[in-house]
Amino acid sequence: MNPGLQAYLTVASALFAIGFAGVLVRRNTLVIYMCLELMLSASTLGLVAFSRYNNTMDGALFVFFIITVAAAEVAVGLAIIVALYRRRRTVQVDQLNYLKN
Amino acid sequence: MDLINILTVILLLPLGSAAIIALFLRRQGKAAAALSVLVGFAIMGLSLYVLESWDGVTLHPTWEWLRFGNFAYSMGFYFDHQAALMLLVVSFVAGWIQLFSVGYMDEDEAQGRFFGGLSIFMFSILGIVLADNLVMLFVFWELVGFSSYMLIAHYYKTDFANMASKKAFIVNRVGDLGFIIGIAWCYHYYGTLDLAELAAKVAAGHALLGSKAAIGIGLLLMCGFVGKSAQFPLQVWLTDAMAGPTPVSALIHAATMVAAGIYFMARVFFLLPTFTQEWIMWSGAIMTAFAGLCALGQTDIKKSLAYSTLSHLGYMATALGLGFPGLAMFHMAMHACFKATLFLGAGSVIHACHHEQDIYKMGGLLKKMPLTGLSFAVASASIAAVPFLSGSYSKDTIITEAFLRGMNEGPQFYVIYGLILFAALCTALYMGRLFFVTFLGQPRSEHAAHAHESSWYMTVPLLVLGFLSVSAGWVVYNWDWAAGKMDWLLPMDTVSVFLDDFRKIEEAAQKEGVAHGLELVAVIVAIAGFAFTYFFYGRAKEGDPLLAKAPGFFHVLERHGWFDDLYDWYVAKVQQRLCDVMAFFDQLFIRFFCVQGSGAVAGLTGAALRRTQVGSLHAYVYWFLAGVVLFCAFATGFFN
Repeated sequence: MNPGLQAYLTVASALFAIGFAGVLVRRNTLVIYMCLELMLSASTLGLVAFSRYNNTMDGALFVFFIITVAAAEVAVGLAIIVALYRRRRTVQVDQLNYLKN
Repeated sequence: MDLINILTVILLLPLGSAAIIALFLRRQGKAAAALSVLVGFAIMGLSLYVLESWDGVTLHPTWEWLRFGNFAYSMGFYFDHQAALMLLVVSFVAGWIQLFSVGYMDEDEAQGRFFGGLSIFMFSILGIVLADNLVMLFVFWELVGFSSYMLIAHYYKTDFANMASKKAFIVNRVGDLGFIIGIAWCYHYYGTLDLAELAAKVAAGHALLGSKAAIGIGLLLMCGFVGKSAQFPLQVWLTDAMAGPTPVSALIHAATMVAAGIYFMARVFFLLPTFTQEWIMWSGAIMTAFAGLCALGQTDIKKSLAYSTLSHLGYMATALGLGFPGLAMFHMAMHACFKATLFLGAGSVIHACHHEQDIYKMGGLLKKMPLTGLSFAVASASIAAVPFLSGSYSKDTIITEAFLRGMNEGPQFYVIYGLILFAALCTALYMGRLFFVTFLGQPRSEHAAHAHESSWYMTVPLLVLGFLSVSAGWVVYNWDWAAGKMDWLLPMDTVSVFLDDFRKIEEAAQKEGVAHGLELVAVIVAIAGFAFTYFFYGRAKEGDPLLAKAPGFFHVLERHGWFDDLYDWYVAKVQQRLCDVMAFFDQLFIRFFCVQGSGAVAGLTGAALRRTQVGSLHAYVYWFLAGVVLFCAFATGFFN
């Protein structure tokens, strides 16, 4: 039996919720960043599911762009985190509050 | 060359000379003086050329000046007979006074500034003469005020000159405030500010003049005249303006600028309702007598002459108020001749006595300065209306007219007659006093004993203007006697601006059979005045005999009735209190509520918002979450 649209959307929502919960509770910048990527993937999964459901290629095409942009974003984001670690010797967000003080 | 082009050149020449002096010749005093005098005489020559080749038809060229949307404002010349006469008077007197200045200012360090100021003054006054509408006239009116301010403050290192220039400027602003409101109202009421169009509108509907608006406009326009021509109650600035160099007093504060107020009133005379005319007449007549009396209380030669100017401006105002603008212009022109001579004579004396201005430190100068003394003497006779001299033609006619009105229209005009006849007596008194004390008797100081005649720069203008103060009235009076031979200079109908009013009064006086009687009274008054001063002041050794005999009276005259003290009191006690009250409201509402209040609101908002910035990334994510929830609630219509 082929899983329906609802199943795909459930999985996507679950992935998004997991990612969002991770962003909310975790303190490590790297983990938060991975959770953000998870949320992004969840949204692309939703796009592919809708695309398949409507029998058009628009959503699938869009996903390629998102993946491309996400790859670039990861490169930049990870570089920032590495640079941050080199400078501050920590990647814990609750210690990165220099603007506040 | 086209006359309009020449008029433009006449107007722009002094502006160019002022610009060149201000930009390049500030340190080269002699070059600035030469340029300024050259331009002065060029203007005189061009004006004479214009008058000679003009056929008497009014010129009214206009150019667009400003355009706002479909509202355009034009500026231009309105060259009619009045303007022609005024141009002649201004350019002629100014040219000679500038030549005189070369001699008078020869040791001054700031000749560039002085002659630049004279040039900018020439530009401004010529603008007033030629202006064809009230806005253009107002612009040049203010420029005249500025140049007057600048020239009074020429000796800016003395406190008195600074204060006098500020006083002149501020007092004039008071009058000009009324003037500019009057212009706005005039535009609102008549729909135009062009002199020719205004005249046409008033001529088309005389009913307009009776209305309250017309009276208001007349009174407001009169405010400008009251300020500039130093009429009551704004007369206080003129005597202090004597702090400027003497040629400036001669040119600006006697011959041309203060007379420009009279010219302006004559220009817009058709706008003045009867009520305004009566006001001008009464204030003028009272001022004439009072200022004439005050001239006796001054020991400073220039101040005494300044009060004399006030008195004679009063005569012109009386002539205006009696309904004879042409006669006022006539007296203005004659006054320009003899008052310029008197001031230049005073300047020559002051220069010879090393800037001593107290007449009781002079004396016996006639022998040492014969040319100055001679011209001063004839100008004194002329101003006191000795028959056949210039002053008598204009001044006696004003007195005659006041008497005729008294005969025909009511006794209140006899009061006017009495006032201005008394002023005529005062004229003979203060002029006799000045002449006898300054030029006769023995020298009363070192400087006076060693004085000698001034250079030809100063004596030539004195003689030219002195000659005119003898002959100008006679020439105008006998213009038609010359049977057209003089028409090359001025068309007959230009002179008739002066003569029409004059002849009308002369004929009326002859018809009533009072002409000779009034003439006799005026002559007796003048002779009595001179004779009295000869015996009263002529033998004064030192100090004023009036001061010795009646010190209280003398001090009233010296302070000129405490007008200045009254204004000082008003400014310090009344106006200052009002300002304090307004300052309190300023502090309370503007500063406390508006400025500091709005600042406090912004500050408190900022403080509240700052509390949301906790510096924790997770808090911001929660804020973001809250935002998303709120947005979804809106999008799903939860709040509806």
